[in-house]
Amino acid sequence: MIATKNQAIAALALALCLVTSPAFAVDIGSEDSLASVELHGFVSQGFIFTKDNNYLAADTTHGSFQFSELGVNLTKNLTDRFRVGLQLFVQDLGPTGNYDVKADWFYLDYRLANWLGVRAGRVKIPFGLYNDSADIDSARVAVLLPQSVYPEENRNFLLAQTGGELYGYVRLGSVGALDYRAYGGTIFIDTTATSGSPYQVQNFNVPYLVGGRLVWEAPLEGLRFAGSLQALRLDATVLTSAMTTTGTTPIPLSANIQIPAVLAVASAEYVAGDLLLAAEYSRWYVGQDTSNAMVFPGSPTVISERAYGMLTYRASKWLQPGVYYSVMFPNVDDRSGRQNMQHDVSTTLRFDINPFWLVKAEAHYMMGTAGLDSTLNNGTPLSSLQQSWGVFLLKTTAYF
Amino acid sequence: MPARLAISAALIIALTALCATVFGQQHSPPPPPYQVIVHPRNAEVTVERKFLEDAFLKKITTWPNDDVIRPADLAPDSPVRRAFTRDVLNRSVEAVKGYWQQRIFSGRDVPPPEFQQDEDVVQFVLKHEGGVGYVSGTAKINGCKVLVVR
Repeated sequence: MIATKNQAIAALALALCLVTSPAFAVDIGSEDSLASVELHGFVSQGFIFTKDNNYLAADTTHGSFQFSELGVNLTKNLTDRFRVGLQLFVQDLGPTGNYDVKADWFYLDYRLANWLGVRAGRVKIPFGLYNDSADIDSARVAVLLPQSVYPEENRNFLLAQTGGELYGYVRLGSVGALDYRAYGGTIFIDTTATSGSPYQVQNFNVPYLVGGRLVWEAPLEGLRFAGSLQALRLDATVLTSAMTTTGTTPIPLSANIQIPAVLAVASAEYVAGDLLLAAEYSRWYVGQDTSNAMVFPGSPTVISERAYGMLTYRASKWLQPGVYYSVMFPNVDDRSGRQNMQHDVSTTLRFDINPFWLVKAEAHYMMGTAGLDSTLNNGTPLSSLQQSWGVFLLKTTAYF
Repeated sequence: MPARLAISAALIIALTALCATVFGQQHSPPPPPYQVIVHPRNAEVTVERKFLEDAFLKKITTWPNDDVIRPADLAPDSPVRRAFTRDVLNRSVEAVKGYWQQRIFSGRDVPPPEFQQDEDVVQFVLKHEGGVGYVSGTAKINGCKVLVVR
């Protein structure tokens, strides 16, 4: 059934690409017709090759094409102030996605005034400068955004929430402008166990997720600062394969766990002509409460530290190079050992072949293993994986 | 001697003609690269550059009288659009396209409609009271109001 749906979506996307005229979008129906919609889409295929450690997907040391994305969205203005939209998204990135079609976002949006709008549905989470566009390859230079602040493995937790949002934009005269968003809701996550994981997750629930982002556009053209805060709690029952016996019937061991988390990030961005400079600093506070420490360990709040600095430049209409340095410490109280750090120096070349098609090549030099996943590396502990390793990515995206 | 007088007279006449040409051109300057136009019933006479930037990037959506702003663009390869985008939005057309990629695929908004010709922009603005667009400096605006950009 999934394959059938995926084939249908892929066929639809391909057909749309083929019929797209040299315009920015496909408009179906006349502008004022109730049946008219604006339609956009993208198709991406990537290739990952790593030196020494597997990253994001299994067997990347031999090269992997498990890096595909496809999205199609529809937007309709029902009135001048009221809009609805939907994006379907299909992804395959190593063990995640697996070509399952899902609603990336959908919403009803009513803009009462410049300073206040309200949105309900499944909406992208405004966290940092780029989280709400993290899966949009055509919107940035890098193939992988700095993984310290925008980790691919946390995409399910960070990208979108189902609930409501208030937003607005206020110009403050000579001192710039404020752009603000506040949201609350929950997250629905597929809890299918990752291959090699010792746990099976049941009754997964996010009782709350709240947060907001405030962006100050400074009087200096192109300069903006932002602060983002998000609080959530994950509740779940986890089972292990180890069994206990009640009478004569063996049952799996279980534990009820709660993971409260607070995520904060401070951001700065400066765009001057074709030059973009960005830097972000983030701290995540994550606790772990458990009803059975034998099954799933509890822990006091652990603070992780994440930061990056990035520079991109539009050298011509068709070429944009970019570099960044990104660093992450999973526990600020223990920065020693390869498993407790991840340094990442990245360089990218983005080639815009035409207004609807781009190709990117990217290389990373990595120091540390904190960004790796043991389950993708035959269960090898992070402390035993290669400390210095490399990642090479090629990606091409068509979009309209 | 008469030859010298004749040469001098010819030089004076040539210099006068050159000056007339140069100063004559200064008195009739070339048309501006674009005109910003709105619906004739729009109450505004002038507009701040920043307001226009926010309107075309859809950061703001209403005029001061609370009418909804309906911006209209020319095609990305239009030299008029390049001039307007550089002067008013303070960035390149490619950078604006990147901005809209973020907005489109994160579900924030969609860009203004794009038109191939000045006449199409004029028609769009005349059709919508909150309409605002830009056309070449020599375009016929058919009753649209031209705003002065401050």
